[in-house]
Amino acid sequence: MNTPGHGQEERTGLGTFADNLRKVPRRFIESMFRTGRPDSDRSRNDFVFSNFFLHVQSVRTHRWSLRWSTTWGLGMVALSSFLIATVTGILLMFYYKPYPEAAYQSIKDIHFVVPTGRFLRNIHRWSANVMVFSVLIHMARVFYTASYRKPREFNWATGMFLLVVTLGLSFTGYLLPWDQLAYWAITIGANIAQSPREVTDPIGLTPHFDPGGLQKLLLLGSDEVGAEALIRFYLLHVMILPIALCGLLGIHFWRIRKDGGLAKPEDADRRLGGPDPEAVPAWTAAPRKTWSLAAVVRGRTPAVGAGAENTVPSMPHLFYAEAAVFMLTFLVCVLLSIVSDAPLKELANPNVPENPAKAPWYFLGLQELVAHSAFAGGVLIPGIIIVGLGLIPYLDREKKGTGEWFGGPGGGKLVAWSAVFGLGTVLALEAIAIRFGWLRQWFPGTPQLLITAINPGTVLTLIYGLYSVYIVRRFNSMRAGALGLFTCFLMGFLVLTVIGTWFRGPNWDFYWSPSQWPGH
Amino acid sequence: MNRNKHLLLWASTGTLLVLLWAAYSEHVLSEWRQAQAHVAAHLPPGTEFEIQLRQIVVPALKATDRCVSCHVGMAPGETGIAGDRIYGKHPPVHHEPAEIGCTTCHAGQGRATTKAGAHGTAPHWPQPMIPLKHVQAGCGSCHSHVHVPNLAMLDRGRDLVDRYDCLSCHRIDGKGGTFRPGGAGGGEGPDLSAIGAKGIPGDWYEGHLGNRRLAEAGKPPDAFPWKASFGEIPERDRTVMEGYLSSRIGVPALAHGKSLFNSLGCRGCHKVNGVGGDDGPDLSRAGERDPALTNFSRVTGEHTIANWHAQHLKSPATIVPGSAMPDFGLTDAQVDSLVTYLLSLRRTDAPEALWPPDRARALRLGEREFSTDGSTLYATFCASCHGTSGEGMRFAGAQPFPAVGNRDFLAVATDDFLKQSILHGRPGRRMPAWGEKEGGLRPREIDAIVAYLRSTAGGIGPEKDTKPARWAKDEPGAGAQLFAAHCATCHGKDGEGAEGVALNNTAFLKAATDTYLFESIRRGRSGTTMPSFASGSPARQALSAGEIEAIVAFLRTWEVKK
Repeated sequence: MNTPGHGQEERTGLGTFADNLRKVPRRFIESMFRTGRPDSDRSRNDFVFSNFFLHVQSVRTHRWSLRWSTTWGLGMVALSSFLIATVTGILLMFYYKPYPEAAYQSIKDIHFVVPTGRFLRNIHRWSANVMVFSVLIHMARVFYTASYRKPREFNWATGMFLLVVTLGLSFTGYLLPWDQLAYWAITIGANIAQSPREVTDPIGLTPHFDPGGLQKLLLLGSDEVGAEALIRFYLLHVMILPIALCGLLGIHFWRIRKDGGLAKPEDADRRLGGPDPEAVPAWTAAPRKTWSLAAVVRGRTPAVGAGAENTVPSMPHLFYAEAAVFMLTFLVCVLLSIVSDAPLKELANPNVPENPAKAPWYFLGLQELVAHSAFAGGVLIPGIIIVGLGLIPYLDREKKGTGEWFGGPGGGKLVAWSAVFGLGTVLALEAIAIRFGWLRQWFPGTPQLLITAINPGTVLTLIYGLYSVYIVRRFNSMRAGALGLFTCFLMGFLVLTVIGTWFRGPNWDFYWSPSQWPGH
Repeated sequence: MNRNKHLLLWASTGTLLVLLWAAYSEHVLSEWRQAQAHVAAHLPPGTEFEIQLRQIVVPALKATDRCVSCHVGMAPGETGIAGDRIYGKHPPVHHEPAEIGCTTCHAGQGRATTKAGAHGTAPHWPQPMIPLKHVQAGCGSCHSHVHVPNLAMLDRGRDLVDRYDCLSCHRIDGKGGTFRPGGAGGGEGPDLSAIGAKGIPGDWYEGHLGNRRLAEAGKPPDAFPWKASFGEIPERDRTVMEGYLSSRIGVPALAHGKSLFNSLGCRGCHKVNGVGGDDGPDLSRAGERDPALTNFSRVTGEHTIANWHAQHLKSPATIVPGSAMPDFGLTDAQVDSLVTYLLSLRRTDAPEALWPPDRARALRLGEREFSTDGSTLYATFCASCHGTSGEGMRFAGAQPFPAVGNRDFLAVATDDFLKQSILHGRPGRRMPAWGEKEGGLRPREIDAIVAYLRSTAGGIGPEKDTKPARWAKDEPGAGAQLFAAHCATCHGKDGEGAEGVALNNTAFLKAATDTYLFESIRRGRSGTTMPSFASGSPARQALSAGEIEAIVAFLRTWEVKK
């Protein structure tokens, strides 16, 4: 009776049932991951490779990529905040009504009566801001570590599209509360869309060719911000742009994997030293399939060419890092949401313009330029910046400094000097424009076309451009020129955004603090 | 990896804590839950009471009012804490709060569930609650056209109602209905505090008289009050009493404020509901003023619209530098009363079916919200500049306003001149045009004002004038010289007016006949600074008829010049 194996044979049907029931949770989890418990290198690989959601990542991750200082997790922060915004956004959609007055009332309801509605909306708003912010500095990180270089040029270009879509998502979401803030920010946005008329009007082209009017019409579906605009923005915000973003993200992530993971210096292995003592010993089991031999994968795969000594299994090393960054992002979002409420001003009123009417913070740098010329500040310069950024990897074909912070000729010192130059120039120009005015104040009657051509924004762009030409010649390196130009623009963006956010009051006049704003 | 593990652990723990805190504060700390918990603790044991969000929704009035989530006792079907001002029942009012909502009368933010948000003192809410002190202003948002007589008439009406013993049987504004010899009976007549809302029956007087006759005939046998209390009332008194009663819609403070506003002549400069002058801002929506768009930099005390209005009324130029509005030297009580009326100027866009009779009568039948007798009209629209009895006014820093009640003026001014002057005003001067499209007065009302002006001066009619409107002839140059010598000191070098009225005004010259001008110069205006030029004085030579004619002819040159 007590012999091993005897009891099993004796077990009744009921006993088996109880035993199976007891094992359900474990078996469920095992069945969820087709490869079973990841307890060997082989099963860890399979855990990643055979999983629909994880297989976009490589099964092993280079230790260089896992250093905090390589990426600071910024791409993951951007993705995390997008996920958080998506989930909270879907919850908000249950209550939101995309029709002018009802929209405002439904936000009030979300704020006041939907259980934790105010909190949800705050998280949505903060995660959106975190997303924009992290996308921007993620881009800066990729640039400064020269990670855009071959074979990652296209992923940089994809990143440009992602940046535009991210800004679009945030901007379309701005209108939805239908309050004064939203209404007038979108009115500004629509007028910027119409600003090509600034050029087509004076040369008499508008009646024949009116891209500005068309853009505005496409955006608003009407001459003014109204119900048509709201439904358009809503559709863009909850469907079109998120789908576009997901598609682009898929390409973005897939290319990271296919381009050989994150960029790293040639001598990364040497710099890292010996194998990670913490890591599970590298590559003990032979791969079950040789993908490159089967001609399924072209080019370099993680297993081809370079030694695998400095890689660690992605499960769990990479996933812990990713999960940690996700939770940290979540923590930042909920903390900010507890502390600060998303704004909701008065019901939109087309008869009472907000003064000052301000766009979302990331557009305030442009709005600062728009104050002189809507076309230059809202279309021309952003266009130049986006196209210029997109061209960087195709112009910089150098090798030196890839994967290193401020890598390339000149290095950190050049960046520091460029930062000083960029800051000085933008501050000087702004100081002149604020203290002494611009062409219109000096020569009343200056035609707008001239101001469109010559305003602080275009002058700044020109100076920065000339500066980078000088750097290119001096270092005889495109990378050095790019470092200089990018740093300058970053400083310009920073300064203009700060001025637009904190130092501009009614009629876009300069004030040291909002307490000096004149009363109404 | 350990660093990442720690980061994950602490970030997750932190997130969990924040989420728990959010859930806790939502379910335990929210103001309305605490308010309801307070009520639940004070209810008599055994009372069924569920802690839940409560609201009154009236789609027609766009009211979604969660005020009753804290003010539970005012929710339909709830008792709340008996006798408590905040948690008890709503004080008895004519309307059922559950049917018309809270914000309809009180303003504030109905959707909010926090105190600051709901009372509307939170930022970005344009319509905070009407302060309790001025609570009757809320009634004005629907009863936007309550008919009120002038203050003097209002007081007189109240006195007459008192004097004719109406209060023996009727109760008005909490008074009366109990005065009976020996303290017996009382309250036989209906309460008349809101009679103006329903409308006064046209046959009330005949009905009362009939009852008295029946009582005298012994049916019913012991109809004491009719015999003892009701006597005949002359028609003149009845009209005044009806004027008073028509202003009774249950909000005496609002009616008083409105009457005071009209009587002070505020409408001489300010339009309300399309009628009034245009020197000052249109006040039709003064109660809806957005605090965020209001300059409080010179206001002391709390930054509320009520306080802004109060301080502005006391000293306009202090609050709005450069304001042309005179300081009327109002008492605190008058200021409060006016503020109540100003705050009531906040019309709700209620569907027509819900309009009170006064609003329907005014907007659909064209009835006025003020009495249309000449005296009231003059006091409402003219007196603030021309003086209560037409004696003219002087305000610091402004040219004097003409004495339109002057006997000499009325003797030479034809009715047509007066009507044209009121109808078209004096373009470019302070006097606005009062025609229907401008100041909003109707031809009959202008007639009434003219008739009233004549009656105040003892019924002086214009003297017969057989001459044509234009007859004066100038000897070339003489008129101009005479004008410069005799008139320019007061009327200005080019007749632009200074101490005297402006004479180069085309509307004036168009309305005035030559006879009017001639006679005005000849007789002057006794009691004003305009002397008679027919007789000389030690300081000044008399003018001959020919010389006056020359001046008149000279004045005519300005008529064509512009």
